[in-house]
Amino acid sequence: MHLINLSINRIIIHQIFQRKADGSVVLPVQSHEFTKFSSSAMETFKSRVTDALGEGSRAVQMEIVSKGPSHLPSLIDNMVGQDDKNFSVSSFDIATKLTTAQQMKSIPGGIVVIFSGTYGAASKKFLGIIKAEIHSGYEKEVSKTTKEISLKFVEEVLLTPSNKLYKTAGFFERSKYDKKTNDLNKKWLVMVSDYQISVTDGKAAAKYFYQSFLGCGYPQTSAKTTKEFYEATSEFIADMDVSDEKKTDLFNALSTYLKVDTSSTISPDDFGGKYFDLNTQDAYTSYIEDCGLPTTAFTKDLAHIESKLKLRKISFSSNVKITAPLDKFKNLIVIEEIEGDLTEAGEPAQWTKVIVKDRIVHQE
Amino acid sequence: MKEDKFKEKWISEKPIYKAWGEFILETITNELKNRGKNLEVFLKVPPICRLKQDDSLIDKAFYRPDKNYSDPYKEIEDKIGIRFVVLLLEDIKEIENILKESDYWEFDPCKHFEIDKKNEPLLFTYQSVHFILRPKNSLSFAGVVIPPATPCEVQVRTLLQHAHAELTHDAIYKAKKAVKPEVHRTVAKSMALIETTDTFFGEVVEYLNHGPVKEYEILERLNGMYELFVDIKPCTHKSSLYLWEEFEQLASIELPEDIQKFLDKYPSLKDVIRSRYSSNILYQQSVILFLYWMLKNKRKRLLKDWPFQRTLLEQMAGDLGISIRD
Repeated sequence: MHLINLSINRIIIHQIFQRKADGSVVLPVQSHEFTKFSSSAMETFKSRVTDALGEGSRAVQMEIVSKGPSHLPSLIDNMVGQDDKNFSVSSFDIATKLTTAQQMKSIPGGIVVIFSGTYGAASKKFLGIIKAEIHSGYEKEVSKTTKEISLKFVEEVLLTPSNKLYKTAGFFERSKYDKKTNDLNKKWLVMVSDYQISVTDGKAAAKYFYQSFLGCGYPQTSAKTTKEFYEATSEFIADMDVSDEKKTDLFNALSTYLKVDTSSTISPDDFGGKYFDLNTQDAYTSYIEDCGLPTTAFTKDLAHIESKLKLRKISFSSNVKITAPLDKFKNLIVIEEIEGDLTEAGEPAQWTKVIVKDRIVHQE
Repeated sequence: MKEDKFKEKWISEKPIYKAWGEFILETITNELKNRGKNLEVFLKVPPICRLKQDDSLIDKAFYRPDKNYSDPYKEIEDKIGIRFVVLLLEDIKEIENILKESDYWEFDPCKHFEIDKKNEPLLFTYQSVHFILRPKNSLSFAGVVIPPATPCEVQVRTLLQHAHAELTHDAIYKAKKAVKPEVHRTVAKSMALIETTDTFFGEVVEYLNHGPVKEYEILERLNGMYELFVDIKPCTHKSSLYLWEEFEQLASIELPEDIQKFLDKYPSLKDVIRSRYSSNILYQQSVILFLYWMLKNKRKRLLKDWPFQRTLLEQMAGDLGISIRD
């Protein structure tokens, strides 16, 4: 899905609030008028949306799990075709749903922006939801008389470029689907951009947004995509014009990135940015896209590659250790028990003959 | 012919010579413009036709001890002359080609410094290129009929050759009294240096232009692609050249093809470029296609080395649905 040709024709906002200290709900405040942006305000808003959901962003694709008529995905499916009056009413339903989903007292309130329009060469429909946190900030002022600059405190600012402070969800009408289908997943493609998803243990914290509120879940295909990512990246590293030692380091980096990194999402952009030089990063991004992998982030699921990532280790009493990835161990290492020199007791010692079907690339 | 008859003939035929000179001048300058030359930059001295002064013509015809004309009127071929002064030796060749390729005139090279160098390799003196042009057929221009025998002398020189000629020609070669040997020697030395410098100029230009962008004719090919894709003729400003220099290493012979494949995937970019054409000068140049391609395929490199304001890149990224925020 390419987020080109983005055109937004309806925007409406409501305000939602953090729960009270006792956990009770504070009702959201409704707007009845649509927001009208000037052209530069609209350009900036579109740029926030593209930053959050576009190619190279941290957005992940999700699938619709809650398909009932009272759930959000069904509500959105109906909304896109509604007239302005009904759209406005439905948008407040969305704000109410989010208020309900924010069960933990620690989750802040903010402004909910609901917007719809078209995207893509064929001008397909889409609907977006942004939950933007409100923070204080400063505004630059220039004195009319002295021309001196000063800072004015602004109590409530939102939607600055820092995309840690807003969550975005986009429901995009797919370009091809059976019009008679009842399966919402076949009609809609969902992208969610939430910084929380990628932090340590963030999955649980982010659940209120993508699961309780949006009615979505991690795609079933995550394991497949993760495996494809692993294989494509391994192939790329193997073909790189660098020393074998460097390749070993990069393979280790890939394993670490998948196994140890606490983020629940994988981003090829992120991996490339950490481990490759600039020119290689660009080549890697193109390669990954050519392999059919997503150009945004995607959710991590190691189910299919667990065995590849495991390490098999054999230790000897003398602190000699041999480690190798599990699947290579069987093929590359031959271990045989042999009889060694005679010990003091006159018995042959138990030795082990190890044959490694490979050459040395690195010694320390 | 006697002097008074000579003068009569000359005065009556002056309009013919003038018309012929002006025709040649117009034809050559139009052809230079067709070949994409900016005349104000390409020609270092404004080219004008000069009718020989009546007195100096008569003087040359009848009062030169070293010249023995049997038919001075016919034999003096520079009664009308045009001079083109250009910067580089290769520019002289360009004008020479125009002169050779025209169907309007017969062309007679009566002096060329390359031939002079071969004939007299040890001599450093006045260098220039002279041609005599005569109409192939009788033609009409500015209400005047020009017969086929009418000669016009066209001189082509580099700026340095011209400086030398200006200094020496009247002073030295037309001086009545003998000039001291030291003066001749100094003039010869200066011509030797001028010839050397003209060659250096050519080398510098060659060196500056050398590079993959020139070698693979990327700018020209992209200009063609832009015109086909956007349906408007592209411009070229310094900003293009600046960008090409910055991202020169990405130029390869396959680049235009790769860009075309990219454009085939994103045909809606055509409308975006058209809508921004009048508000942003970068969109008027074919380099915008390269920039869009880089945003998709060489994003990190582009972001790192982008020399202009970032807001422009953000706008372009938005057009492609690409996030460039970290």
